[in-house]
Amino acid sequence: MNNTSQSILKTILLTPIVVLGNISESRRWAYYLIFPSLLMISLVVIYPVLNGIGLSFQEKQLTRPNRDGYVGFDHYVELFTDDDEFWVALKNTGIWVIAGTLSQFTLGLCTALALNKSGHMTKIVGVLVLLPWVMPSVVAANIWALLLDSRLGVINDILVNMGLLTDYLAWFANKETAMASALIVELWRGFPFFTLLLLAGLQGIPEDYYEAASVDGASRWDKFWFITIPMLRAVIIASVILRVISLINSPDILLILTGGGPGDTTQVLSLYAFQTAYLDFDFGYAGALSVVMFAILMIFTVLYIRASGGVTEE
Amino acid sequence: MISNQKTVDRIVEVIRWTFLTFVLIFALFPIIWTFLTSFKIELDIVTSDLQYLPERITFDNYVAIWTRSGFPTLIQNSVATTLMTLVICLVLGSLAAYGFSRYQFRGRYSLLLFYLVLRMFPVVLMIIPLFILMKNLGLLNSSFGLALAYTTFLLPICTWMMKGFFDAIPPELEDAARIDGCTRLGALFRIILPLARSGLVATGVFIGIAAWNDYLFALMLTTGVDSRTWPVGLALMVGEFQLPWGALSAGGIISIIPVMILFGLVQQTLVRGITAGAVKG
Repeated sequence: MNNTSQSILKTILLTPIVVLGNISESRRWAYYLIFPSLLMISLVVIYPVLNGIGLSFQEKQLTRPNRDGYVGFDHYVELFTDDDEFWVALKNTGIWVIAGTLSQFTLGLCTALALNKSGHMTKIVGVLVLLPWVMPSVVAANIWALLLDSRLGVINDILVNMGLLTDYLAWFANKETAMASALIVELWRGFPFFTLLLLAGLQGIPEDYYEAASVDGASRWDKFWFITIPMLRAVIIASVILRVISLINSPDILLILTGGGPGDTTQVLSLYAFQTAYLDFDFGYAGALSVVMFAILMIFTVLYIRASGGVTEE
Repeated sequence: MISNQKTVDRIVEVIRWTFLTFVLIFALFPIIWTFLTSFKIELDIVTSDLQYLPERITFDNYVAIWTRSGFPTLIQNSVATTLMTLVICLVLGSLAAYGFSRYQFRGRYSLLLFYLVLRMFPVVLMIIPLFILMKNLGLLNSSFGLALAYTTFLLPICTWMMKGFFDAIPPELEDAARIDGCTRLGALFRIILPLARSGLVATGVFIGIAAWNDYLFALMLTTGVDSRTWPVGLALMVGEFQLPWGALSAGGIISIIPVMILFGLVQQTLVRGITAGAVKG
């Protein structure tokens, strides 16, 4: 009796596993594996994105709900013809992305090259330089706000002591220095990302290539230009795209440090869209702004991949 | 000629280390400065005569942030949100990654590419409808809702990273298990997952850090104290404390300690996972 009930219990408990095991033998197994994640992505990404695109054709202001309704391309027309801030933000986004990517890539590549040697010390340095990259944006921004503070900032102190500066500067409140300062913060947080990826790429280049080149009498520069760079191409393309995406899409640092100011000198598209949505509660217009951002990203990615000769899978 | 070559090598080595020293200072000085500031008393922080090393060491800043600002609640909320994000992403992401890694099927390549393109959607574009959706589902101001929002960008990354780790495990292992009578599911759980353990941990750490650090989603989707995460709390604190630097530094140090420990522990596998995805894809 006891035995039977035990075996019944066992069957009940094991049935789901057996059933799942049987399902795994069906021809659609691969689809079953992917389906749950696809469902989740449809719910939290696809639906919101489509909805957001829809919003861009509507009037939807939380503060004035009586005006809600379909407005067609009105927001887009207003954006391109009647919104000075949009054009300023577009220009600043260009500066932000180009200067940001170039500076981070250059420092990241140089660091990766310097780290591409064996040795204990090199390895330790390789881990330590990655630390800024795992810093939360809130902490990173506040650290730099303190470092560059107009009264208490240690960087002001160092520069004045070195004689490079006569007086303490309010780096983020000054129109000439705000953008550059924010770019330094972004450089600090972003260059380890390039170091990480490019170093991995460098370590994947077979040593024989360099040896063969040495036999042929190639200089260091030749080796760099004709072996290293071409071999790194895929990594460079991938890392630049990923970086540009994150520079365009995430306004964290600017949101915390400058809020787009002083004036509009650090206003970028992502921040503008964000403020439109959450300070003005104008969801429709913010939607239109983000759709424009997305279009710019798509165009950039396609052109960039074309220009660099395409990427092949694996 | 040979000695000449040696001189050049030595010069290169000197340049290399000089450069690395500068990079290291650039990378670490801000963090070290924050660490030092967190132990200074307020008077020593705001003094016009800048102190490089704290002359008087105090733990008041840590006490202040822990007792005066509801920081424990913020940390608790962050832990809850991060754990939920981890479970959702690792379960769904690993299954999908395994499917992508092991099976050829129609639409595989397009789907993989689609998972990459997902990153391009502007966060702002998604946040507005997500906000409305969460509000309608009653998930606004909940850790679970926030965790769901994090899957928007973390699930695709998780899938790509795990695919890289699964790709590295030879398929012959499953074939052998199946000849021994294992179902595909059995092979996945008994053979593959144990082998992919370090990859799972590394992916988990990466996702955990991203969820723990996020500011934008948390700022938008949590408005109340009971679900707010620490980055938002810390940012709001700037207004709460009169001269916030000591407390802010202490808060910053507390919140990055888990990140640094976890990152240090799985750093090598993590780097392999991230780079495999990007280098191959």
